[in-house]
This record gives sequence, structure tokens and C-alpha cells, in this order.
Amino acid sequence: MKTGIIETKKGFFEITVAINGEKKELSVKNDESLLDALRRHGWKGTKKGCDTGDCGSCAVLLNGRPVLGCLAPAVTAHEGEITTIEGLGSVRAPHPLQVAFVEAGAVQCGFCIPGMILSSKHLLDRTPNPTEAEIRKALDGNLCRCTGYVKQVEAVKAAAQKLRGKGKRARA
Amino acid sequence: MPEMIVKPATLKELWKILPALPPARRYLAGGTDIVVACNGGCESSECWMDISDIPELKTIKETASSLFLGAAVKISDLERSAAVRKWCPALIAAIPYYASPSLRNMATLGGNAGNGSPCADGVCALVAEGASVLLELKGKKRRLPLKDLFLGPKKTALKKDELILGFEVPKRARLGAYQKLSARPYFCISKAAVAVTLEISGGVIKRAGIALGSVAPVPLYAAKTAAWLAGKKLSAVTAAAAAGIVKAEAAPITDARSEADYRREMCGVLLERALVSLVPLAGR
Repeated sequence: MKTGIIETKKGFFEITVAINGEKKELSVKNDESLLDALRRHGWKGTKKGCDTGDCGSCAVLLNGRPVLGCLAPAVTAHEGEITTIEGLGSVRAPHPLQVAFVEAGAVQCGFCIPGMILSSKHLLDRTPNPTEAEIRKALDGNLCRCTGYVKQVEAVKAAAQKLRGKGKRARA
Repeated sequence: MPEMIVKPATLKELWKILPALPPARRYLAGGTDIVVACNGGCESSECWMDISDIPELKTIKETASSLFLGAAVKISDLERSAAVRKWCPALIAAIPYYASPSLRNMATLGGNAGNGSPCADGVCALVAEGASVLLELKGKKRRLPLKDLFLGPKKTALKKDELILGFEVPKRARLGAYQKLSARPYFCISKAAVAVTLEISGGVIKRAGIALGSVAPVPLYAAKTAAWLAGKKLSAVTAAAAAGIVKAEAAPITDARSEADYRREMCGVLLERALVSLVPLAGR
């Protein structure tokens, strides 16, 4: 790989990325997807569902936008900013979206939730007060096999309301 | 994935490094087709050339008579562009049906066209817009009507190493619509799709562009139906008659997604819906 990526040993490359705000140098394989590289390096919140770009459970934010980790060769993320589900919140300090998903009962097996929440985050970053149609459109491509999608839509609405309230307080 | 991925910073650098690369090589844009093909064992090049950051391919540029859409512009960036919204009504209408939001943040029209699939929503819409495709091979440029780029399923007129620079869409005021039929309304490959553009003056169609997706070996420009529509008043009656004509132009097959007869029939239905949807806009 050219332009600033150093081949360390045959088939391995050093890429520089910011993951959840922290600058990291990752050694990735030439034939590895961003999803596999993230999981191998410990960001296991990013889930491997179909590995064909159909299910959305591997969605991460690359430079602020949701992309599918399974379809991005890891080397192409060089110099990018990545947000994984770990970057949003933790068990002790969850993000309002994570709280809302739990409170709405939107999480059953949980496998699709990291992708769902990151897609929702991207929506709420741009559209603080989304309509149901906008929520459904934003979650198009995040498949859930447990629920009927009703609870997730409710969760995003609730989180949006909470985040709007927070924004007001912050501005006041 | 391949042994090697190179990422030239400019076109000039690409043509410079090309001769030294392994002969089995392909371009990588958004990766949404090539990575899937690779994982499925249908793609085994030794080298991919990542063209996703080449500045010449990432621009949307207006000239006096046309709009240039760079081959590596992400579909989601096209959707946000005011110029695209103004001059590419069929493409804008197709974007909600184009894969999913996260895939639209990765995929590009150049990759879409280079992949050569007759199902490609973005390409089908661009063919209806009357787009040309601009190609370059080692500094030598050429231009083709986009409809002539496609020779068969996954077969294009691209020469080895020839690169799609982008697409030129004529800047003519027109209406556009996109109708798609698939197993689910969104995030699904079509059984049949119809893209339409109409230039209208005083309620009369001056020029029509019609492209059919998933009903022929290539994204099909429906030349006969488009020619028939020119000079007609846009109405429900015209739409119904055009539906009859377009069915004869489609050349569908039966495959995993649908059956030939049904696809042919649906081309008529989708064209009629598309034309009828434009009737209320024609007077404005």
C-alpha cells in the first residue's frame, strides 16, 4: 500500500487511525476487512453478521458516517476517524441512545444493536428531531431478526427528545 | 482480498506506477461489489488500485452546458449536492432505492458502472438522464454515451486498465422519476426498474429519456419508447400507451429474482406509474 503506509512484514501494514478519539497505529493484514481488524484488536462491540454487506451489524462511523466494516478493506481506513459502539458510552456511562434502547425494550439478542445505534447516532447528529419515516429510512439496512423494529423506532424517538433537552440546557 | 492494494494520490501517479503492478489488477472504489465478489471467490486479482481519493474523481463540477459527476463521489454526497438535485431528477429519485444508507456512504457511480450489472439503480437512472461517460487510459481520454458502455451482464466496453473518470449529464430542465419493483420496497435488488426523464414545454413532451433495469442483459436505454413519447401530450392516456410500447423493448430473463413474463409486464406498469407521477408536475 502506498502513500504513508509502511509494510512491516510480508502481508502486514501499519495504518494510522483515530479510534473513538484516540490515535492508534494498527497492524492490519492486506486481506483483512476493517471489521476483522477491529475485532482482532479488541473492539468486539462491532459485530460480524453476514459479512456480505446485507445485515448492517458491522456498521461503524468512518469520518462521521456509517459504513460497513465487512466491505471496507482495513488498509483503506488509513488516516480515518473511526467511531465504534465502545466510543459512544460504557456500561457505567451509557450514551442516551444506549439508555433509550434498553428502556424501550429494543434489545433482545442484541447482535444488531451496535450497528443500529451508530446509524441512529448519525441520524440524530444531523436531524435532532426526526420523523418516524426519517428514523426508518436511517435504519434501512440494519436488520434485526428478533423484533419487529417498533421498539427501535421508539428508542430513537426517546433518545432524540432526551438529547434535544440536553442541548437546550447546554445552551442555556 | 488481493496480495496488494496500492493507493495512488493522483491520476498522474496512477499512470506512472501502473506498468510495475502485477498484471492481474482491478480498480477499487467503494468496495461494495468487488469485496463481496472476492469473498465469494469470483474475484482473485493480485492487486487492487484504490482510486477512492483521487481528487479528479471526487468532484462535482458545473460547466455552461453540463454537470460532471466524478466517478468516486459517494452516492450520499450526490444526494446532498444542490447541483445534482437540480439537474439529475431521475438519479435523485433513484437514490432512496439504492442499497442502504451505510452502503450509500461507500458506493460510487463509477464502481456501479464499472461493475456492469444490469440491476444497478444509479446507472439505470444516469442512462435515462442522457449521461455520457468519460474514460481515461494512460492519459488518453475518450467519451461514450453511457448506454453504450454496457455490452452484457458484467461486460463493459472498458479496456484493460481504462478508468472511469466520471459522467457528464446535460444541463437541461427536465422532470424525472424512478420506479422499482423488488421483493421488499427498499434495500433490495430489483426485479424490474424504470427511470424516466422528460423535457416538457406547454404540457407537451419535447424529449424523453427512458432506461430499464434488470430486464435486459444491460441497463437498457428504451430508445423506441422515448422516441414515441416525443411530441405527445403528457397524460394518463399517453402513459398507458407508452406502457404497451416499452414492454416490447424489454428483453428479460427468468432468474432467482423473477420471471421473464412478469418482468416484461412490470416494465409497462412501472413506466405508466412513473409517467403518471409526473403529470401533476408538468404544468409548473
